[in-house]
Amino acid sequence: MDFSGRMVPVMGVLAAFVFAAQMLNFPILGGTSGHLVGGTLLAILLGPMAGFLTMSTVVIAQALFLQDGGLVALGANVFNICAVTCFSGYAIFRSLGGGSSGGKRLALIGFIAGWASLLFSSACCALEIGISGAIPLRIGLSTMVGYHMVVGIIEGMLTAGVLTFLFKVRPDLMKINGPGRFGLADWVGSVVLVVIPFTILVLAGSSKLPDPLEKLLAVSPLLPTGAGADRLYSSTRYMDYLIRAAVFVVLIGLGILAGFLGRRRSSRP
Amino acid sequence: MRHNFIDRYAALDSPLHVLEPRTKLLGFTALIVAVLCIPLDKGRLFIAYFFAAAILMGISQIPLGYILGRTLVILPFIVLASLAAPWKGYAGIGFLFVRAVLCLMMLILLTNTTRFVELLRGLRKLGCPQILVMNLGFLYRYLFVLTEEAMRMKQARDCRRVGRAPFREELKILSSMMGTLLIRSFERAERMHSAMLSRGYTGDFPVVSPKKFSWHDFLFLDGVTLFIALTFVLR
Repeated sequence: MDFSGRMVPVMGVLAAFVFAAQMLNFPILGGTSGHLVGGTLLAILLGPMAGFLTMSTVVIAQALFLQDGGLVALGANVFNICAVTCFSGYAIFRSLGGGSSGGKRLALIGFIAGWASLLFSSACCALEIGISGAIPLRIGLSTMVGYHMVVGIIEGMLTAGVLTFLFKVRPDLMKINGPGRFGLADWVGSVVLVVIPFTILVLAGSSKLPDPLEKLLAVSPLLPTGAGADRLYSSTRYMDYLIRAAVFVVLIGLGILAGFLGRRRSSRP
Repeated sequence: MRHNFIDRYAALDSPLHVLEPRTKLLGFTALIVAVLCIPLDKGRLFIAYFFAAAILMGISQIPLGYILGRTLVILPFIVLASLAAPWKGYAGIGFLFVRAVLCLMMLILLTNTTRFVELLRGLRKLGCPQILVMNLGFLYRYLFVLTEEAMRMKQARDCRRVGRAPFREELKILSSMMGTLLIRSFERAERMHSAMLSRGYTGDFPVVSPKKFSWHDFLFLDGVTLFIALTFVLR
């Protein structure tokens, strides 16, 4: 890919666009609002490589200059938020035939790509946390993926909406990446970032199979073994997590409630 | 429209401001990594780091209220994150919280004592890829332009409609706004590219570098290294 010519300002300005688009937040229930993450959209418009670079710029800028996301966690963030969303979203979009469709079909494919990309991203995050041993894989995976299943709907709808709008108004921009064939990067992306996380999701989603997975992780050299591992999965710790999860949920609920009340008040004439 | 510029106090003139950007990048990163390396049972060390942060804040001449305000903005996220991390018992929550606040202060100090362009130059000199540095530069330059555009569109929407439209309509309006913003961004990029070409762009940005590595920088780096070494030895 040519990163020296026309793409340079396009990538830079689209990175700023992602920031600006996040200002246009979308009211969902109560006072909470969702906004676009944009990885899938950028990957579809610019191609996965340039989209990935643009998203990385956004994440780095957020970490460095808004102190949001963390400097030491930057590697994980870039992988989860940028690499996984861009490559998986693009691979899904392409493999469903989104490049050569329009209208309702394009909207549907865009929705699926946007929604699933966030799902994979959250699954990867939970997996990393599980490997590091901070939160057991089963709890992390179910919480993260469950949460993003709901939040991802907004991402999917906005991706679909913007794609449909662009298709109607400026279809030439949709071709910026060319209809192209399914290249090597697409294959690597779809296998590494779609098939593997999906397998893990299926494994963890079914009730009996997580045990072999956790065993697999437990024998891996990355995880604390022996007493540490026992402590990690013991039932008292389990209760502790549950209590904390409950506090978490209550706090989020209070936040939603506060936002809802604030909204009611502000919308009154 | 008032913007919360990222490097609002970067134009001040203090001992921290005159440092070379590379020095500050390295020094503050070292401090952050050192904070992250403090073990759980050595919580007292945080006092030393808060002391260091306070000294640096005093030197930097940035109003204390501004730094605290910036910290407060991100505080809710930190609280949620430290609650969500079931890590080493309940003392771990406080530990994580203090750690995050310290890192936050260091980062705020770094970005507010260095002009953005200089920071990018420092990153480039430290070996950050050219394309990433350029992207960050464009991002910073056009961030406020595009945000302003987005806010204007939002204002126009709010002026035209009464109450709330049904969900489907609302979604349609929002995606058209985003699409329009996207098209405008693309067109802006086209114009920028023409402008860059007509000014002789060859793939690299020339930078004027007024700052040189001087004895200030040695002093700062020595101080930071000594401080970190002391906290590691004396703990």
